[in-house]
Amino acid sequence: MTLAAAEVEVAGWVEAIETYCERGWTDGLPVVPATPEAVRRFLEAAGRAATDVVLTETTRRRTITAEKIAINAVLAGCLPEYMPVLLAALEAMADPTFTLHGAITSTGGSATLVVVNGPIRRRLGFNAGGNVFGPGWRANATIGRAIRLVTLNCLGAMPGLLDRSTQGHPGKYTYCIAELEEANPWEPLHVTRGCRPGSSAVTVFAAEGPHNVLSHYGETAEEIIVALADTMACLGSFSPGESFLVLAPEHVAILVRDGWTKPRLRESLHARARRTRADLKRGGKLAGAVEAGDETTWVHRGHGPEDIHVVVAGGGAGGHSAFIPSWSRDRNSLAVTREIPDSHRGSHPR
Amino acid sequence: MTLKILDPTVSADAAEDTAVAKRVGDLDGKVLGLLHNGKVNGDHLLELVRQRLASRYGLRDVVVVHKPSASRTADPAVLDRLARECDAVVTAIGD
Repeated sequence: MTLAAAEVEVAGWVEAIETYCERGWTDGLPVVPATPEAVRRFLEAAGRAATDVVLTETTRRRTITAEKIAINAVLAGCLPEYMPVLLAALEAMADPTFTLHGAITSTGGSATLVVVNGPIRRRLGFNAGGNVFGPGWRANATIGRAIRLVTLNCLGAMPGLLDRSTQGHPGKYTYCIAELEEANPWEPLHVTRGCRPGSSAVTVFAAEGPHNVLSHYGETAEEIIVALADTMACLGSFSPGESFLVLAPEHVAILVRDGWTKPRLRESLHARARRTRADLKRGGKLAGAVEAGDETTWVHRGHGPEDIHVVVAGGGAGGHSAFIPSWSRDRNSLAVTREIPDSHRGSHPR
Repeated sequence: MTLKILDPTVSADAAEDTAVAKRVGDLDGKVLGLLHNGKVNGDHLLELVRQRLASRYGLRDVVVVHKPSASRTADPAVLDRLARECDAVVTAIGD
């Protein structure tokens, strides 16, 4: 397979790692050098030609081929069989409703949250349990990192140049989880979003960091919903944008025991996660002085219950769920879900 | 032992048309377009620009367009309209 990328000749592995750092081709951490042999292995595992166009970004006029994605996947420390997940995530980010250019450059400083569903979670060894947002799992760590490296190296979103994040957040290094479908008695995320039961899928979301929803002593659904709704209504992240809730298994078990369904939970949270216009003005969220009627005019988080996406993940012990607000303050960037095609299941042995 | 490693970066595609539009010289008798990016205060900034230019030139007309979102590029139909109706366009981001 012929490759198009420019080659750099270096004296050895250590020099290779340093060359990537010196040229600004990393996220600040050392990378795995991408040799032509490794990149060919990744493309073969993906069943893609080097020249296949995976993603185009029209604002900055970038055309990104499977070869460049494979190079960045090697740099990130991925295994070849991760390629189908990475490619599906990047194809989802190219959907116009994701608003890729805005999401990777805005002062808002979002990172791409990736949620993996379906049988591929187990096959590739994703963590959906304890420490789900934390370190220790190669698939989660390196697929999230590969997306950041593509963003930096291929989309030009270098910090201080095109990426103008005021602060950013740690998820910009890597931000990839799987749903613990085994602890979710409701539909998994991808099925709620229209994928076939039993399929594998990725969902991407231009997201803030996770906000902890601690409800340790909550023994009823009502107490947990009060804590969730209050976190969703917090002024700092309040907007009409979408939300992700990553519910702890313990919280889900209580909700289900008390008879709650996923649709009813979404409806209840949309009804309760609200602020008055007066609050929004006092907090500098809306311009202007508080006027007559503002104290009794309510603004809800999201446009409707369908803007609240529910995922189950985390360890078996602990009343810690997470609320993850959209980067977008309205409907300018929406979550996108893509099935991972069967032919992309990554048959290579580990 | 030397090693070959690959460049992971992508450059911007060549622009299809890089020709610069004909310069207008001055704005007397011309139509001025104002494209507000959608960010807070961009509209105020453009209004100040309009006032300054109107005090210096005899503008024939002013076309004001607001983009609904700063995160998204202008609708091609909006750009076509500005190109068709205006002799010069000023855009502003504000914020």
